[in-house]
Amino acid sequence: MEHALIEIKDLKVEFKTERATAYALNGVNLEIKKGESLGLVGEAGAGKTTTALSILNLLAKPAAHIMGGDVLYKGTSVFSMSEKKLRDIRGKEISMIFQNPLTSLNPVFTVGEQIAMVLRTHKNLGKKEAFQEAGKLLETVGIASYRLSDYPHQFSGGMRQRVGIAASLACNPELLIADEPTTALDVTIQAQILELMKDLQDKYSTSLLMITHNLGIISELCQKVAVMYAGRIIEYGTVKEVFKYPAHPYTKGLLGAIPRLDVDSDHLEVIPGNIANVHHLPSGCKFHPRCAFCKKECEQEEPAMNRINDNHYVACYINEGGL
Amino acid sequence: MDKKLLFGRIKRSKFFIVGGIGVFFIIILAFTSPLFVSFDGTTSSLMERFTPPEGFSKGLAGHILGTDQLGRDILTRILLGARISLSIAIICVALSAFIGTVLGLIAGYFGGAVDKIIMRTCDVFLSIPSLILAIAIMAVLGTSIINLITVMVISRWVQYARLMRNQVMVIRNKEFVLASKAFGASHWHIMFKQIFVNITTPLIILLSQQIGQMILMESSLSFLNMGIQPPLPSWGSMIANGRSYIASYPWVVVAPGIALMLTVLSFNFLGDGLRDILDPKQK
Amino acid sequence: MMREKEPLLVVNHLKKYFDTSRGTLHAVDDVSFEVYPGETLGLVGESGCGKSTVGNVLMRFLNKTGGDVFYQGVEIFTKDKNVKTDLSRKMQIIFQDPYSSLNPKYTIKSILSEPFNIQKIAKGEELESILKRLCADTGIEEDLLDHYPHELDGGKRQIVGIARALSLDPEFIICDEPVSSLDVSVQAKIINLLMTLQKKKNLSYLFISHDLSVVRHISDRIAVMYLGQIVEIADKNTIFSNTRHPYSIALISAVPKVDVDHKVSRIVLKGDVPSPVDPKPGCRFAPRCWMAQERCFTEEPSLTEIEKGHCVACHFWRESREKSLTAQHVGIKENEGF
Repeated sequence: MEHALIEIKDLKVEFKTERATAYALNGVNLEIKKGESLGLVGEAGAGKTTTALSILNLLAKPAAHIMGGDVLYKGTSVFSMSEKKLRDIRGKEISMIFQNPLTSLNPVFTVGEQIAMVLRTHKNLGKKEAFQEAGKLLETVGIASYRLSDYPHQFSGGMRQRVGIAASLACNPELLIADEPTTALDVTIQAQILELMKDLQDKYSTSLLMITHNLGIISELCQKVAVMYAGRIIEYGTVKEVFKYPAHPYTKGLLGAIPRLDVDSDHLEVIPGNIANVHHLPSGCKFHPRCAFCKKECEQEEPAMNRINDNHYVACYINEGGL
Repeated sequence: MDKKLLFGRIKRSKFFIVGGIGVFFIIILAFTSPLFVSFDGTTSSLMERFTPPEGFSKGLAGHILGTDQLGRDILTRILLGARISLSIAIICVALSAFIGTVLGLIAGYFGGAVDKIIMRTCDVFLSIPSLILAIAIMAVLGTSIINLITVMVISRWVQYARLMRNQVMVIRNKEFVLASKAFGASHWHIMFKQIFVNITTPLIILLSQQIGQMILMESSLSFLNMGIQPPLPSWGSMIANGRSYIASYPWVVVAPGIALMLTVLSFNFLGDGLRDILDPKQK
Repeated sequence: MMREKEPLLVVNHLKKYFDTSRGTLHAVDDVSFEVYPGETLGLVGESGCGKSTVGNVLMRFLNKTGGDVFYQGVEIFTKDKNVKTDLSRKMQIIFQDPYSSLNPKYTIKSILSEPFNIQKIAKGEELESILKRLCADTGIEEDLLDHYPHELDGGKRQIVGIARALSLDPEFIICDEPVSSLDVSVQAKIINLLMTLQKKKNLSYLFISHDLSVVRHISDRIAVMYLGQIVEIADKNTIFSNTRHPYSIALISAVPKVDVDHKVSRIVLKGDVPSPVDPKPGCRFAPRCWMAQERCFTEEPSLTEIEKGHCVACHFWRESREKSLTAQHVGIKENEGF
């Protein structure tokens, strides 16, 4: 059987700090297939970024502790890989775009140097070739190649994010992880970046893991979506299925809570209570204290992922037996 | 701050524990010394000049650290000196902190021309060598404790002003300050009730670090005969007066020297410890 | 709508410039609007368009450079102490950041009592009962009163911020991005609370936000700002059904839609928002506009009423809707516009 590109198996991660322990991931199962674009959606503290960082084995040590589970890249565990192997993979086979384009670029090098650096380490290109290649990459993200010799601070936020995308595409990676890439940008600039990413999706066959709290972005860019809550995936499926027929009460609440441009409503749905506290997680289903359909077993045991159909899975008792 | 967290940090800060214990004992010894010393630190007794340290061989009745060139008990003088030094240091720190904090708050809060005037004044004060200022003031006004305090305050308030100003600049545009403004709060209310309460931590840290510096400065001035005047003892003047006998009777200089060093060190440790506890990011 | 009533707030040709080392920054450049009793005017635009500066000037945190603002007919930029006190009771503000808007050193109770202390209105038992009512109105649990802000999550803090703004029974509240730093589910709670309070107390809001969906949800009328100017203003339904300014059209099309069935193509604006320092003559939007013509670069369009209550600042508003249907995916390439 062919391995999926990324397989996350029952991953548990805790962060231990001076004050307390944060239970960031509590058994995450996720698969990203080749060429697939997956959206990871959830509110602050749901564990989206932790999931992404553990794929690259980049969790902040010593605070982060992997308490169980594994992340497999093409069938090999990233936690057992040598540092050298990991370095080879990072940036070459899996690359990442961050939320803040200013901090993810080094201010003392020109963008040309930075992109060329990636190319020279991973593709063994000569200096001149690397610069030529970097120029081409900038053109693909819509920046004129003469700007290779400019420094990051000479670019605006949206342009920097384009540079970040160019750098991450430099080695034609297998997987691109985008962590809230447009959250810091204005709507019209965000639209530019989204359109660019759509174009690039058509052009390259790169898989995409899109992390965002914006359901609209997922709907535009992704085929599949995984909804996270308190360090677990609580619903998974194709975007069409999940957004049209949300099965988990949390997903339903989330979809009802956002004001829509296309739908008029007097009142927004409110999910009662607060986001689960990662330091003191509730027992059983992590969502049960806020759930209107909470039953006895919800308080006691964590529901497993159930299949609704081939394109839709949910971790909730009310859907058991194919509701 | 969380009490448990604070307590945990205190337990882990060796600086704070060592410095705190040192400071505690120095203060207790200095201010309770009249209860247990058996000599008068200011009357000379030439018969007993340069008695070598007797340790505890005669209990508390002997010259534990020996006597000086006028036959005065050194331990008694060190303890008396500690009392004087500590009191002066605390008064100076309090005064300079008060002046500096008020001016710093005003400069940071109002900004603009007010800020420029106060900060340029600070620059001027920073460029006056404190020793030359001391000589000038003492020469014109004569040596006295008041003049000593004046010199020390003049040369130290700037640090508080600069610290406070920079802290205020960070806080003054916070939205809770604007919220007060929106309700028509007075400048006074905003400066003290909203801004000042948020910048006490760096102030406390600086205060504790400055006490040792003040003791050192007072000793230096006394060493140069511009500080505490005889017959009152000061560590600085004890070292100065004893230095011609250092070859034959080293304890006359060594004892107050060690006392001075230990005291300043304790206060510095305490200051660093407080910084680690209250503001671990600054480490 | 509420046109028959007298406006509560009238802003006339308001200007706010800042002197910077690179020149004069036109943060707010000739902005006029009214707010009527009981209505919400949404002020929407991207970062740097001057929407928050409008709020700060109206709250008198900043001095105006030009223009007038009248609140119930009284000029708000005055030295008269009584007028100032009166205004600070009637006009209040809710801030964006629930973390920096509450003083970390005080309990929630002290924070909510502060307005009464400043204005010397109530104390002792009277204050207690007022606070109780305030908590009931906004849904703050009374045992939270003894907590410090850092013990509360973002949503609760924002509710405290709202309660503080409401404490002296204001008529008009400026909401400066009150939900943009909150999570989706909390955001809904705050928006609902603001809307309930408005109905109950007949409040008027100036709702400043970059989020079109939120603004659409809460507002009665919407003003779209671009580079210090209002480019289009109309009631909410008109602005979405009969959008006329090319910038508004692009802005609306830029919002990612959740709807999975109807994928609409969008107008992508080229380049970035130009600098508001010493703006060039002509229409501010012209360098990024997908239908700009020569005239746009020389002649500044004025805000003109094209139908009742709908004003647009564009020379070619008549054609914009038709043109928008054919002008899709304009200029992904970006080589200019700095």
